[in-house]
Amino acid sequence: MVTFKLNGVEVEGEEGQYILQVAQKYGVEIPTLCHHKALEPAGMCRLCTVEVFDGRRTRFVTSCNYPIWKGMEVFTDTEAVRSGRMLILEMLLARCPDVAIIKDLAKAYGIDEPRFKKENDDCILCGLCVRMCEKMGRSAISLTGRGVDMVVDTPFHLQTDVCMACGACASVCPTGHIKLEDITGRKIKQIPSEYDMGLKGRKPIYVPYAQAIPNTPVIDRTKCVHFKTGGCKVCTNFCGVNAIDHSQKDEVIELTVGSIILAPGFRPFDPTEFASYHYSSHPNVVTSMEFERILSASGPTMGHLVRPSDKKEPKKIAWLQCVGSRDLNKCDHGYCSSVCCMYAIKEAVIAKEHADKSLDCAIFYMDIRTHGKDFERYYDDARGKHGVRFINTRVPTVETIKGSDDILIRYTLQNGQPNEETFDMVVLSIGLETSPKVVEMARNMGIELTEGQFANTSSFRPVATAQDGIYVCGAFAGPKDIPQSVIEASSAAAEAGALLTSARNTLTKEKDIPEERNIIGERPRVGVFVCQCGINIGGLVDVPSVRDYAATLPYVEYASDNLYTCSQDSQENMAKIIKEKNLNRVVVAACTPKTHEPLFQETLVDAGLNKYVFEMTNIRNQCSWVHKDNPPMATAKAKDLVRMAVAKAALMEPLRESELEVDQRALVVGAGISGLVAAKTLSSQGYHVSLVEQSASLGGNALSLYKTWKGEHVQGHLAELINSVESDGNIDIYKNTRLGNVEGFVGNFKTTLIADGADKTIEHGIAVIATGGKEHTPDEYLYGKDPRVVTHLELDKMFLAEDQKLKEIKNAVFIQCVGSREPERPYCSRVCCTHSIESAIQLKELNPDITVYILFRDIRSYGEREYLYREARAKGVIFIRYELDQKPEVTGGKDGLEIKVINQVIGRPVILKADLVALASAIVSPRDEKLAQFFKIPMNEDGFFIEAHAKLGPSEFATDGVFLCGMAHYPKPIDESVAQAQAAVSRAVTLLARQKVKVSGTVAQVNPVMCSSCGVCVDICPYSAPSFIKQGPFTGRAEVNPVLCKGCGLCVASCRSGALNLKGFGTDQIMAMINEI
Amino acid sequence: MSDWEPKITTFLCHWCSYGAADLAGVSRLQYPHNFRVIRVPCSGRVSPKFILAAFRHGADGVWVSG
Repeated sequence: MVTFKLNGVEVEGEEGQYILQVAQKYGVEIPTLCHHKALEPAGMCRLCTVEVFDGRRTRFVTSCNYPIWKGMEVFTDTEAVRSGRMLILEMLLARCPDVAIIKDLAKAYGIDEPRFKKENDDCILCGLCVRMCEKMGRSAISLTGRGVDMVVDTPFHLQTDVCMACGACASVCPTGHIKLEDITGRKIKQIPSEYDMGLKGRKPIYVPYAQAIPNTPVIDRTKCVHFKTGGCKVCTNFCGVNAIDHSQKDEVIELTVGSIILAPGFRPFDPTEFASYHYSSHPNVVTSMEFERILSASGPTMGHLVRPSDKKEPKKIAWLQCVGSRDLNKCDHGYCSSVCCMYAIKEAVIAKEHADKSLDCAIFYMDIRTHGKDFERYYDDARGKHGVRFINTRVPTVETIKGSDDILIRYTLQNGQPNEETFDMVVLSIGLETSPKVVEMARNMGIELTEGQFANTSSFRPVATAQDGIYVCGAFAGPKDIPQSVIEASSAAAEAGALLTSARNTLTKEKDIPEERNIIGERPRVGVFVCQCGINIGGLVDVPSVRDYAATLPYVEYASDNLYTCSQDSQENMAKIIKEKNLNRVVVAACTPKTHEPLFQETLVDAGLNKYVFEMTNIRNQCSWVHKDNPPMATAKAKDLVRMAVAKAALMEPLRESELEVDQRALVVGAGISGLVAAKTLSSQGYHVSLVEQSASLGGNALSLYKTWKGEHVQGHLAELINSVESDGNIDIYKNTRLGNVEGFVGNFKTTLIADGADKTIEHGIAVIATGGKEHTPDEYLYGKDPRVVTHLELDKMFLAEDQKLKEIKNAVFIQCVGSREPERPYCSRVCCTHSIESAIQLKELNPDITVYILFRDIRSYGEREYLYREARAKGVIFIRYELDQKPEVTGGKDGLEIKVINQVIGRPVILKADLVALASAIVSPRDEKLAQFFKIPMNEDGFFIEAHAKLGPSEFATDGVFLCGMAHYPKPIDESVAQAQAAVSRAVTLLARQKVKVSGTVAQVNPVMCSSCGVCVDICPYSAPSFIKQGPFTGRAEVNPVLCKGCGLCVASCRSGALNLKGFGTDQIMAMINEI
Repeated sequence: MSDWEPKITTFLCHWCSYGAADLAGVSRLQYPHNFRVIRVPCSGRVSPKFILAAFRHGADGVWVSG
């Protein structure tokens, strides 16, 4: 260490450092133009001149390249230094009178006008660019010429190949003399950010996206100069912790595994090739993925909806569906991408939310395919409530408008009427495709691919490939949305898990949980974390003011706000802050504790706190989302909610959790395809199953089905499945049996089965609900009145029976959406379009001369089912669209049925003759309210059970230990039912395999001293948790068994002596909240 | 008097009504801002004392839902 005096103050620097470096360390400002941290100093601009006193005399030196020595005295701001700098600046200003940085510096030193003759230059010849170019390992430029002719230039003023246009020179030039555009002769594009779909730039060193795990920057070797020349490494001079290691190599890691799950996903279709859409040439034609980024709070425009060309808010946006899907002409993608209709509707609705209601959104479509759970309602709302326009036509081309950034769309309606409209923006709803790399991987692994390059699997084992032990899930196994991908992911895990049952728990890694800090007796130190949730909260509530307000509340030691409090990086930061600030209570003001409390509690545990010293308050679902028209009041409410939460949190105490054994047996309710597969999968994972079926036979609806959409015969596979279940010693089958009663809770259920009037009670740890659906009985189209009108299942039975009458049919008409997508049942039954098409093809095969009509509203042959639709049209099946308010009319007569339907193309009714009418009847729920009550599981308006989370928890209930699959969840075909049955089991096994569960610490506790032995709590508790103490000093007083207590607090509220308290919701805590309202 | 807004204290059961309030948010249903929610594990937890305390602290109405 070298000590010396800097402006009279003793400072320390390291041997070999220069004065400027030490001065910067101590915050002493010295002006400089030619200094760069990563480069050897050159003393070119002379601005950093300082006075050095060596004990005898003073000297003027350039501080950037004058090494320090012991005992020296440095003065950076003396009169002499200032006047020297003034002269330098005056000369620089005369040379470069228009350079902002020099003008500013000159002004700071009191110079308005130079005394010297002004020139018109902008280079100060500091040579920073030359040194930087050398550092890049190139030395393409140098200071050439002598004296007044000196300039920065390439040798002989020629364009040189040595220059790679990296732009390092331009990036360090203090005056802006060097511009990268001048070097390359073209406009410079930033490296497109992959995450922001190229709408934003990124650097060669970058964090892929804000929530990336791990949240560490990476170096893009294809762009980094060091990997081209061996030079640069400037970044290492800036990294304070020496974390950058350019010598890191890709590693090949070999793993020994028993099973492989392929989840490589999809690639969004690139519409560049579609010249007629002007995607690559017109900035306002964007893909749906780009539009997602524009709508996102973390996107390039921070969620502000503007169009790319001029950043103006669009007034009219068009979505073009099926770009890269259902198109053999341009892109060889014959399949439907399944998700685009729904995401386009979602984008239109959100765009309207972001802009104002006047935003005009139009979706150009062929068929709207909202076949997912609750999607049809969303579609109805988009059209009815939000006013999104739906135009039924495929737009082949869009036109640019000269002198305008708008886009013209000419289209023809179904009735042949031409039309044109101008839009501010066009969104291309691009499809999903398998990337060529994945295709190559699949080939290498011997995975068979379909026509659309998706993994080929069977309906009865939808995630298993032809290679034993290799499973697939997600969009690689066919285009699909999030819930279906999540289902398949769990399903693949179940398949792999069954294969690896014998190896279970042999490679377990224990999570390292830090020891819990004892906070008893400490004064509360509350940390408040306020979440912006992107723009969900931050767009309305003034989050910084809520944060500042929180900081003023009693016991609050720390308050901050985050863009997303739940993201991985925020969580790590929260744990760090808890430790740093020694917090002992945490309040998060964000979304709902129902979904996010466990996540934050885990962070508390990671930070060494008990998970119960945490309180969450809901300023999103119950504040920003519901008070959109009054931001000030929403902010005031958010402050109140935070104040209440802090008041409660200050009174919180650490709680202990009891452990509970999980009964290793399972109950499966319903023995259709889903129930059978669930039972079989559970058994193959080593668990005992009781399979309960209310009817006399196993198989459910599948007993009436003929073929799957992939052409597999259902009966053969079903018989095999039933046989394997019946012969499985680990599965007890109860036919003709109903559930009489269910008691208990996760891990310890007791269920009474009733068969033939006799009861039997079984015990089980988990339950899978697979109660299925049934065919709706139509009350229209002469169904039940004329035997020639049949339903899907009835027609399938005819196919199964090889009914000879089918061969004699000359005209058949299928009517779609019978009972579905109507006000009474506003959902799509998902399977009927494919089923009708399949049956139509079957009829054509039986008798090629038959005429088949399908009367439909939208054909929903999603995914690769689209091929069937194509095949049917090729085989001559005639499709006629009808509208809900102009339903077909069926009349009967001796010589056949007559169906009247309005043909949309000619706008007139046509009469079809038929000797068979097949109704695509809806799938309805059996509405088992009792079952819902038994297991405390919710049911939606349509009678289907409501899963824990529509996207991320489709196969489980919010009620612990109860799982869901098949048509009890929503109408679905066999392959999807099988996948969900396996998924439900996979979720159940995560519980069963643990063998023990922890019971919440939020339980009632008795203070026996206060107890008056009245017994109200014992009588009132629905879980039999309280009882009388049998011996000891408090004999006869009440006590609560924490394992049985569910923490409802009923006993606490009814205790007349005040002896009971509910931990986590204590009387003092609730009173504190009431106090703060 | 015309500007007067009542202050309402609300006790919502974590398992049902609190979830319903969340769902109202998800569905973007808009409603007046002048009530404050206290989440309880069950409406059975709400002791008459809480209701009286809410009135004592200036609430104009108390809503227990579960």
